[in-house]
Amino acid sequence: MLYREALNKAIDESMAADESVVILGEDVGRYGGSYRVSEGLFSKYGEKRVIDTPIAELSIVGNAIGMAIAGLRPIAEIMTANFSLLAMDQIINHAAKFRYMSGGKMTIPLTIRMPGGVSRQLAAQHSENYETLYSSVPGLIVLTASNATYAYYGLKEAVFLNDPVVFLEHELLYPMDMEFKEIKNFDPFKAEIVKEGKDLTIITYLKMRYDVLEAEKELKKAGIDAEIIDLNSLRPLDIETIANSVKKTKKCVIVEEDHKTGGMGAEIAAQIQEHCFYNLDAPILRIAGEDVPIPYNRKLELLSIPTPDKIVKKILEWKAKNGI
Amino acid sequence: MEYKVIMPILSDTMDKGKIVKWYVKEGDFVKKGDKLCEVESDKAIMDIESFEEGVVKKILASAGDEVPVKSIIAIIEPVKSEKLKVKNEKKDNQSKENKKIQKEKKEINIDDIINSIVSQPQYTEKGSASPAAKKKAAEYEIDIEELQNKGEIPKPAHLKDIDKVIIKKYFTPKAAKLIKEYSLDINEFKLNHKIRSDEVLSYIKQNSIPKITKLTPNQIAVIKNVENSIKKPTFFIFEEINIAKKEGIKLTALIIKALSLAMQKNPLTRSVLKENKLLTYPASNISVAVNRDDGLYMCVIKNAEDKTLEEINEWLKEIKTKRLTIEDLSGSTFGISNLGMFGIERFTALINDKDAGIGAFGKMNEGEIKVTFTIDHRILNGVEAAKFVNYFKKEIQNV
Repeated sequence: MLYREALNKAIDESMAADESVVILGEDVGRYGGSYRVSEGLFSKYGEKRVIDTPIAELSIVGNAIGMAIAGLRPIAEIMTANFSLLAMDQIINHAAKFRYMSGGKMTIPLTIRMPGGVSRQLAAQHSENYETLYSSVPGLIVLTASNATYAYYGLKEAVFLNDPVVFLEHELLYPMDMEFKEIKNFDPFKAEIVKEGKDLTIITYLKMRYDVLEAEKELKKAGIDAEIIDLNSLRPLDIETIANSVKKTKKCVIVEEDHKTGGMGAEIAAQIQEHCFYNLDAPILRIAGEDVPIPYNRKLELLSIPTPDKIVKKILEWKAKNGI
Repeated sequence: MEYKVIMPILSDTMDKGKIVKWYVKEGDFVKKGDKLCEVESDKAIMDIESFEEGVVKKILASAGDEVPVKSIIAIIEPVKSEKLKVKNEKKDNQSKENKKIQKEKKEINIDDIINSIVSQPQYTEKGSASPAAKKKAAEYEIDIEELQNKGEIPKPAHLKDIDKVIIKKYFTPKAAKLIKEYSLDINEFKLNHKIRSDEVLSYIKQNSIPKITKLTPNQIAVIKNVENSIKKPTFFIFEEINIAKKEGIKLTALIIKALSLAMQKNPLTRSVLKENKLLTYPASNISVAVNRDDGLYMCVIKNAEDKTLEEINEWLKEIKTKRLTIEDLSGSTFGISNLGMFGIERFTALINDKDAGIGAFGKMNEGEIKVTFTIDHRILNGVEAAKFVNYFKKEIQNV
């Protein structure tokens, strides 16, 4: 199943199951969504439930919050994560705060979907994901979908949660054909152990999952049996799964596409040392994007983010340097 | 300019080499041609020699390590003998010079990684250890700093270093050897007394734990060879031949000589298949199953047709103990195996490598030997093989 088809299926089934579910955003209706995620929904559910909006992100989220307060379950789509900066006041100052400001009288069952990350030569203003920013905001739930299975189940859960969810997708994943697994008792906040291993733990999420899996083949040849964890949920963070793995392997590597400074990896590393400092047999290694605005030039673009060969190289260097 | 010793490619199938032992240590002075270390490939064991005169500055792979080909295993700093005295003072400067600008490359280059590591500063403060190592050391009352001062564990210490100390502390040397051989988890034992080998043995027996022996590169190559052999479409020719023994000449030498002459009359027995082509070689190069102290090898005698019986006899003696090179193990087109000396009447053998066939020789019985030829039908058909066997039978009468 294509990643975008899984998202489409989740929205379609949610809308069929509950009349209060609506979607809104730029080009989500007649055009079918800029990544074809809402394809076919306009003709099926009509313009009152599949709403094309003006190019005004603040109003997309503002309107969605109003709908949520009034009893709908809106799914707002931001065309690309960089544009969500324009909606930041509504997301952080309103969506995340209303439940608390109203003493629990108001809930905001809102899902804000946005694709982001480094795609192919979209340059600095269209290549970020802001997962670190959103994960630092109390009152928000931040989910990342790296695969069709989680995209389907995770989005369905997000729609029916009573709190605002920022649902992060990656632009390179939409056309990918992925295995779809049926899951009973799905927990959106649980990290997935993609591969078990005993020598070291690699923590990752979103598109980096595939770069790590590619790198793992080389690591295996070098005799390293790595455990790979895909976080799925960045807020709340499934520190239990992370800590259990690190307690087992004693070594941890975090791979993220986002800029290194103040990135998700920094937060995860801090939490690991809070939970299992005395189990660590080596400094935690962060493999992350460089601290530069993402370049347009394809070669420079690839140099600015982790790639499978860079992941292998950095892990081997780190192992040798630390004598482990 | 420093000279980097790399793991050489000793055969076309070799992708890793195992360092068997080092003849030199860091700080040693070596001359051109001096042996540095012994390397085991998938086919043979060979010495690596120094191409430069100088001081061994760094050894980057220890004995027992398997290293990918072309990676750096040692660094030699070329110096004239008189400069030797100042080598230690120069060390710090050298490490600065070594720093290289790391280039981003598409290919994963192990060399670059090792290079960058040589010049990395290490954490060398007293008592430095990972949190996990410190925790475990405290649990077993191990003084990390003291052991580091004695040079028994490295700085910084990691779990694996502490585990070694624990094994030394709680297990007798014999018991420790068993722990390693059977890859046992030391936490399975109550660590409150010195554990002897009989305690470990009874644990092994109770839990029926297998001993794990890693195959040598040669054993792995043999397995690959025989597996390939089984895929070949073969047929057998069963024969009995008469041989007159000659004083002072091994029976195998007689067989090699006769076979080499018969091979000269049949070009197909001097041929190998390669990508829909038949490569026919001029010489009779014969692979011979040789039982050596380090294992059974298919050693190749080259140009056997031009050699005298005495020369072949001498080759058979030498090859038993000689240090084997790639040359000794490749280039054959036909093989022989002789189990007569073990009292075996008749057997069939698997074709070696790319050979066209192999002759399996049983024991001599009143001047008669039972021989079975296994023939690769892709190279020789029944008629060709029959003719060849008849040539051989004729030649063996004349040698």
